[in-house]
Amino acid sequence: MRESSDNFAAFERTWTGPARLPGALAEVNNQPLGKRFMLTAFIFFLLGGVLALLMRVQLAVSENEFLGPQVYNQLFTMHGSTMMYLFAVPFLEGLALYLLPMMLGSRDVAFPRLTAFSYWMFLFGGIIFYASFVTGDVPDAGWFSYTPLSGPEYTGTRQDYWLLGLAMVEVAGIATAVELVVTILKCRAPGMTLARLPLFAWTILVIGVMIIFAFTTLLVATLLLELDRAMATHFFNPDRGGNTLLWQHLFWFFGHPEVYIMFLPATGIVSMIVSAFAGRLIGYTLIVVAIVVTGFLSFGLWVHHMYTTGLPELAMHFFAAASLMIATASGVQVFAWIATLWGTAPAMKTPMLYVVGFLFLFVLGGFTGVMVAVVPFDYQVHDTFFLVAHFHYVLIGGVVFPVFAGLHFWLPKITGKMLNDRLGMLSFWLAFLGFNATFFPMHIMGFFGMPRRVYTYAEQLGIDGHNLLASAGAFVFACGPLVFVVNLGWSLWRGEKAAADPWGADTLEWSVSSPPAVYTFAAPPVVRGRHPMWAPAPTDDAETNAPARRITQAMHGRPVTWRATLVTDALHATPQAIQWLPGPTYTPLLAALGLLVAMVATLQQYYLVLPLGLAFSLVAVGSWVWPGEWRLARMRDDDVADAAGLPVFPSGSASTAWWGMVCLLAVLGTVFAVLVYSYYYLWLFSEQWPQERLPRPGLLWPAAALAVLAVGSGAIGWAERQFNRHQLHLTRAGLIAATVAVVLFLAWQGWELYSVPFLPQTNAYGSIYFIAHAALAITLVAAGVLNVAMLVRLHHDPQHHGHTLMQMQLTAMFWHFAVVAAVVTLLVVHASPWVL
Amino acid sequence: MVLVWLAGCEGERTQSALHPAGEGAQVIAGLWWFMFYLLGAVFVLVMAVAAYAIFRPRAEGGGGKPWGERFIIVCGIALPTVVLLVLLIYALTATMALRKPETAVTIEVIGHLWWWEVRYPEHGIVTANELHIPVGVPVRLELRSADVVHSFWVPELHGKMDLLPEQVNTSWLLAHRVGVYRGQCAEYCGQQHARMAFHVRAVEPSEFEAWVAARSQPARVLTTDAQRRGQRAFVEAGCETCHTIRGTEATGDVGPDLTHFGSRLTIGAGQWRNNAGNLSGWIANPQALKPGNQMPRSFIEPEELHAITEYLLSLE
Repeated sequence: MRESSDNFAAFERTWTGPARLPGALAEVNNQPLGKRFMLTAFIFFLLGGVLALLMRVQLAVSENEFLGPQVYNQLFTMHGSTMMYLFAVPFLEGLALYLLPMMLGSRDVAFPRLTAFSYWMFLFGGIIFYASFVTGDVPDAGWFSYTPLSGPEYTGTRQDYWLLGLAMVEVAGIATAVELVVTILKCRAPGMTLARLPLFAWTILVIGVMIIFAFTTLLVATLLLELDRAMATHFFNPDRGGNTLLWQHLFWFFGHPEVYIMFLPATGIVSMIVSAFAGRLIGYTLIVVAIVVTGFLSFGLWVHHMYTTGLPELAMHFFAAASLMIATASGVQVFAWIATLWGTAPAMKTPMLYVVGFLFLFVLGGFTGVMVAVVPFDYQVHDTFFLVAHFHYVLIGGVVFPVFAGLHFWLPKITGKMLNDRLGMLSFWLAFLGFNATFFPMHIMGFFGMPRRVYTYAEQLGIDGHNLLASAGAFVFACGPLVFVVNLGWSLWRGEKAAADPWGADTLEWSVSSPPAVYTFAAPPVVRGRHPMWAPAPTDDAETNAPARRITQAMHGRPVTWRATLVTDALHATPQAIQWLPGPTYTPLLAALGLLVAMVATLQQYYLVLPLGLAFSLVAVGSWVWPGEWRLARMRDDDVADAAGLPVFPSGSASTAWWGMVCLLAVLGTVFAVLVYSYYYLWLFSEQWPQERLPRPGLLWPAAALAVLAVGSGAIGWAERQFNRHQLHLTRAGLIAATVAVVLFLAWQGWELYSVPFLPQTNAYGSIYFIAHAALAITLVAAGVLNVAMLVRLHHDPQHHGHTLMQMQLTAMFWHFAVVAAVVTLLVVHASPWVL
Repeated sequence: MVLVWLAGCEGERTQSALHPAGEGAQVIAGLWWFMFYLLGAVFVLVMAVAAYAIFRPRAEGGGGKPWGERFIIVCGIALPTVVLLVLLIYALTATMALRKPETAVTIEVIGHLWWWEVRYPEHGIVTANELHIPVGVPVRLELRSADVVHSFWVPELHGKMDLLPEQVNTSWLLAHRVGVYRGQCAEYCGQQHARMAFHVRAVEPSEFEAWVAARSQPARVLTTDAQRRGQRAFVEAGCETCHTIRGTEATGDVGPDLTHFGSRLTIGAGQWRNNAGNLSGWIANPQALKPGNQMPRSFIEPEELHAITEYLLSLE
């Protein structure tokens, strides 16, 4: 007994991160980082709110001279960018990072260091955005940054703050999405099949996948625009064969899913609160289907932001019909909540009140959304204050109100203190009434001719009264979040201590203490239904079989000297392995710092520093992914594996690393897809291709280079087979052959780019030609580096099992992807101009 | 209450999509009122059901379960599908009604940072920030941009259409009533996006013919000394490097064509009434009135400024 309590104390020490600076900067655990994400995003929310209030002062009366055009344009740009990029998605991701492990029955998320990296990237990106206020060079091309207004000809360095800050925030968003997807798929309690996954987790799973595709598209678009600005390429420059509508397509291919990326987790929050307050849930399956359908359809709607750009009528009706279909998916969710609440007389505590407010505002905003999806109607209201009203109903009513509902619901879990319900209600009524006073009149202002993004309006429009009401309402609205902040302070200082499950809710996070231990669960919980807290798993039924019990016992407070969590099968949540998790480390911070240096160097046009920052970052990432020998030895020697009957070195789809690699390849695949799309889009709107009578690209050499690469691909496949047959020498030979193939291919690429009679700066064809080759070259360099790393690993660790096996699999996966990317790129860039 | 507010009984509106004076705007306003009543009724219904579900007292034995998942399927899938199909069909008929009609007059509109160049290619007329159209005759619009993306919008006549740098978009106008209709750029285009307005003057066809005939002439012959002095000062001050006044040596193509400037309603792209006071203020320092616009501050002696003003206002 004595020994076991000593062990447990050691287990707790293993999990406890440094509390003070500078050690706290090395923190990787999901709980402190989730809180940091939410707090940082909330501060940005307040900043964005202040910008909005200043805008409303300017618009209170016609022909006002409070701000002037320049400042007003900067403020609306920063307001939109802050709320979309720095508040909504980071906040929801932070909430998910904090909650998911305890909701799913895991000790941490799948890749804790990635959490830390995301946080730093998000913070640094936000700082770059707001640094523009310090230098006075504030971006003013709108949160959507339409070209050519955002291009080099019309905007100075100020737009670089926007692009570079956004690039960092996007990387953070993508990294967190990968993290969340793999966590949901692999880090669930035994028995939590996908059909028992809490609805909040379902929404995060779907938006995680959406972020991977949507954010990557925007990331590529921002990089192309930055290249236009910094390197004088011509992707979006119509004078040199570029196309400004290409930016709009890429932006809205991100921008429309983005709306649902924010909205779906909000519905997840609502589902959790509704079922907690109703004490039941009706329509689980229908809600899941609605969430998934919404995710899919949201990628088919982007054109409904472009009805007035002169697109073909038929295309627009296709998008209009898809827009109406997605409304049905939202209808399913709304009526599932109504059915769940029917006759249960839920207690009107603050979270529930915010949910009721959400229902009213979101349904209203949804209905105006249906209207603006109708093509002819959009001709009138597009880019007017009617739109401003519509999307604030959807985004504030549909996202911010659920966020506040969720805060009042989960903060007792996070802080361990209850919030004051009276203050909560006060904050609700201020926000609800103020919101409607602000945004309802905007519908009418739009009808009466007020376009969006104007710093002033003519008195003759007859909308002074509407504007004054909206401005007054904005200040009432702002009091809502302020009262919440007071409430939070009061609760931390004086609040009643929160019980583990203050609402009688159903999911696993309510089974742990408030606040939870940093490791969340001493032993992995076992789940036998959708509502584990309402019907806990019986300890002695047939289904809670011996293996599950054995794992639970073996992992209680163990492993002691290293952090680990249980990983389970993606579909059925059957236990598969004990997954090592990292402890505190500075590498994520250093990797993010390297990228920050690179971004600031680009901003200041010190292009020589740029590669230094990138290299520093890559070294940090390298030391991050390269496991220390001491760590592998410790894992090998621990008897927790035998006690639980599970491996500590999982491989293939049993491991989280395999799923992480799948996500990374999805991100890279999206990069290539976006480049291919851009290539054909530019072609489609060019009179000739290649533009300006440039020669068509060669065929013979690329074919030869591909053949070499194919041989390399065979070599890798062969190496992997030899590795599985424990023929390590032959494995090495295969890896070396593949590396040589990569080097030869890269040499050809270098020669090809050197010898073509044009430059990226020649015209848009030259730009896309070079960027496609560059993306491919970077991918192949990465594949080559992974090969070399595998050779080093075999040198250190000449064995078939354990970490080495995993690394071999990942190396081969990446390699095969790189070859597919090479085939596609060369077919598009070299072959299609001859064929099409 | 909403209806009263929307109907806008508080005096004349100059830019309202709900007070249509043209074919396109009328069709769209009809579509709006159809959607308003249809979706408004559904909204009230949904809210009533939700309120009943949430606020009715707790049923015996803890919560009724109206029809379980069937309730969700009927209300959440079947009902919206029917409503949305009705809406879609109505919208399609509206779209048919908005197909481009056979047009008799073509007007090219070219967006600039922050003013509108207006050309009548069939009549050789070039003007700015004002379109003259005949009532009852469909007019074809060919829209493009000289710089960034703009959007052409006259709410009382029709919906908007973007002006792009890389392609010509087309739209049309058909005014039902004689009148002056204000329009405004609807796509954010930089610092003075808010001050990029224009007017459409719909006149009787006979009056339109007369206007075309008058505008096809070069600038009118000067009658007073002050005007002649103004013309000289206009050139000496360098105005002619950016502006064209046909029939004179001013042939610049950066700013608006001023050949018939005196007959325009406003200056500064639909911003200020075109009179001597506003105009001399504008010429003296356009940056004070519309910061960031392309026209530099001039340093002209008051006498010359007065002469230039008189000259320009005489160019009817």
